[in-house]
Amino acid sequence: MILQNLSIKRKLTLITMLTSSIALILSSVSFLVYDLVSFRNLLRQDLVTQAEIIGYNSAGAMEFKDEPAATATLSALTAKEDIITAVLYKPDGKMFAHYFRTNRANPGFLPSHLQEKGYRFERGYLEVFQEVTMNGEHVGTLFLQSDMRQWSLRAKRYASILIIFVLVSGLFALFVSSKLQGLISKPILHLEDTMRMVSSNKNYAIRAVKTYSDEIGRLIDGFNTMLSEIQQRDTALQSTNGELKTRTQELEEEVFQRKQAQEELLNAKHAAEEANRAKSTFLANMSHELRTPLNAIIGYSEMLEEETRDTGKVENVQDLKKIQTAGKHLLSLINDVLDLSKIEAGKMGLHLEAFDVSQVIEEMVTTLQPAAAKNANSIHVHVAENVTVMKADITKVRQILFNLLSNACKFTDHGAISVDVDQIKVGDREWIQFKVSDTGIGISAKQKENLFHEFAQADASIARKYGGTGLGLAITHRFVQLMKGQINVESEPGQGATFTVQLPAQVVIETTESAPSKGAGDASAAFSETKTNQDTILVIDDDPSVRDLMSRFLTKLDFRVVAARNGEEGFRLAKQIRPLLITLDVVMPECDGWTVLNRLKSDSELAEIPVIMVTVVDNEARGLDLGASSYLIKPVERDRLAVLVEKHRVARSSTITDANAVPFAYVADGKAGRKIAGTKVSRTRRN
Amino acid sequence: MPKILLVEDNEMNRDMLSRRLQRKGYSVVTAEDGEKGLSLARSETPDLILMDISLPVMSGWEVTRLLKANESTRHIPIIALTAHAWVTDREKAIEAGCDDYDTKPVEFGRLSEKMENLLTVKK
Repeated sequence: MILQNLSIKRKLTLITMLTSSIALILSSVSFLVYDLVSFRNLLRQDLVTQAEIIGYNSAGAMEFKDEPAATATLSALTAKEDIITAVLYKPDGKMFAHYFRTNRANPGFLPSHLQEKGYRFERGYLEVFQEVTMNGEHVGTLFLQSDMRQWSLRAKRYASILIIFVLVSGLFALFVSSKLQGLISKPILHLEDTMRMVSSNKNYAIRAVKTYSDEIGRLIDGFNTMLSEIQQRDTALQSTNGELKTRTQELEEEVFQRKQAQEELLNAKHAAEEANRAKSTFLANMSHELRTPLNAIIGYSEMLEEETRDTGKVENVQDLKKIQTAGKHLLSLINDVLDLSKIEAGKMGLHLEAFDVSQVIEEMVTTLQPAAAKNANSIHVHVAENVTVMKADITKVRQILFNLLSNACKFTDHGAISVDVDQIKVGDREWIQFKVSDTGIGISAKQKENLFHEFAQADASIARKYGGTGLGLAITHRFVQLMKGQINVESEPGQGATFTVQLPAQVVIETTESAPSKGAGDASAAFSETKTNQDTILVIDDDPSVRDLMSRFLTKLDFRVVAARNGEEGFRLAKQIRPLLITLDVVMPECDGWTVLNRLKSDSELAEIPVIMVTVVDNEARGLDLGASSYLIKPVERDRLAVLVEKHRVARSSTITDANAVPFAYVADGKAGRKIAGTKVSRTRRN
Repeated sequence: MPKILLVEDNEMNRDMLSRRLQRKGYSVVTAEDGEKGLSLARSETPDLILMDISLPVMSGWEVTRLLKANESTRHIPIIALTAHAWVTDREKAIEAGCDDYDTKPVEFGRLSEKMENLLTVKK
């Protein structure tokens, strides 16, 4: 284990040294063993020869029992240092003569019994038995004992030489191996150094130096290849990183800029909104400020005119009339500018309701009769049979018609003005088409270009001759656009002009930008219609004055009123608009109230609509029998009628909430317009 | 001779309208602010009130609301006069209980017609 963790340098040295030392020791030991074994054999042979010689020499002495001679022979062994004992035995085994080097008998060393002949190594001693013969006759036995002193000495010497030799050669091996291990360890250590440098400095440009083309050389090559690969990737990574950083910075910059731009935009938007609010307020205030003195101008001039007429100063009347005309012109100008600015501020809302088209046409024509008469024009009206009720912003429809008709009257002299109303179908949509034609001065192609633009009267001279603000057609155009309709003009100079306005029979307020699917659109249209008609009352009466009175009274109670002239029309309108409730006259031509009531109550869709009978016929029982919810006898008691209709009103608060939910600012526009219209109608009737 | 209460803060308009009404044969009482209008309506019990909406001290619709809430003055028809082109004024006036309204500058013919209507109904 400890060996394994040694440095390569040490390992290599150690391996070399161990290998060489083991080889050296093994070979030396084997040589030593061989030498010692052969030396011992030599010693044995020598001792055996010695024994033979002594045996031979002492045979005579033994034969003749000459002990001193034998002892003398044995004493000759003194020369032989290693022989320590020599004994001559008689054949009976008794000792005959002996020699002991130490001069002391050592019976322990003597053999217990005699052997015939041979040698043996016993207890570190070499012992030889030699038969002593005399003429082939056994006369005794010689025993020699050697302590092998020479062998031991030799062995000891050899061992010391060996150890010294091993040590010296070991040192030499150490020297050589420590010199040569560098061949292997150096490049490896260099590789290691390089690696350490790379990993500590993260410098992938460093390369290991290849010294030899051996396995380590290839290792270094591989390492270098790896390094250069890493370096490449590192460079690529760094450049990518750099790009990324730059991009990130750019992005941050961009985000910052956008944020700034957004803030600026937001500020600009706030400023614009603020400016717009300020503009609206300014216009409202200005209109008030302008109207107040105008009020006085027009009022006083009218008053003066009356007084002047009374006092007979006729020559001043014309001048006063001019003041009035100028004042009224100024007023209409203010109104038009106000309308336009409202449209431009997006504050012109639509207030949709269902109304009788022919009734509106009738009103407009009556209103414009004096203007037509001024230039000796005649007005011809034709409303097609299929035109009944449309749903639109009635005030704007009135204004559109008023503008077109007053223009026609203005620019036509001793001519004819015709109004044609049709219901047409384009695609799957129903349109109401109003066509106003005149036989007046007409419009040139060049004039047509700017016809619907603000303050662009056909000609400056026209303004002088005919008056007008130049805003009428622009406003008309905007109103038509607001209701998603179209307006166009056909005319030749001197040949009169025909203005055609097409409005959807059911104008829809677009609440969301995304166009709803067809099914959903239909559903929402149906819903909004239901909502609109939640406070609609259908008045069925053949007497126009009753219709007028009722509609004005109910309008004041904040109901929408649709009037029908006879039972047939009433029934059709009821089906079409599903009013909140119906007031029904009994005495009517063709189809009387009873019949209408019967039909209403037997129609599953209409049976739920409450019917209030308003009649001169005193037959309450019959009315209630047929399903009328109340019975009023003419002349109608207003309070009673109010209480009755209020009972059926859908909770007003919820209606207001609904109206406010529509994103148009002036939902009440229509109501106001209706009231004005109501008075107009009443006036035309008086006239 | 129907008695008309004219509540109007603008002097010229008040003068002009009252003179024209007198010429028409009405007897005219005038007030230049809401508070005076209210007290005159109570003391004079006019047959009809012409009420300017933007009045100092007390606004026209406030006066109208008070008059319409009171048993003794509820029956007096009130015509609101508003100079603002903004619809909210008319709306508020109607909600306050005005019987009719007109916009200024007053078109005298139209106004007197409205007055006639209300006076006739009253009778």
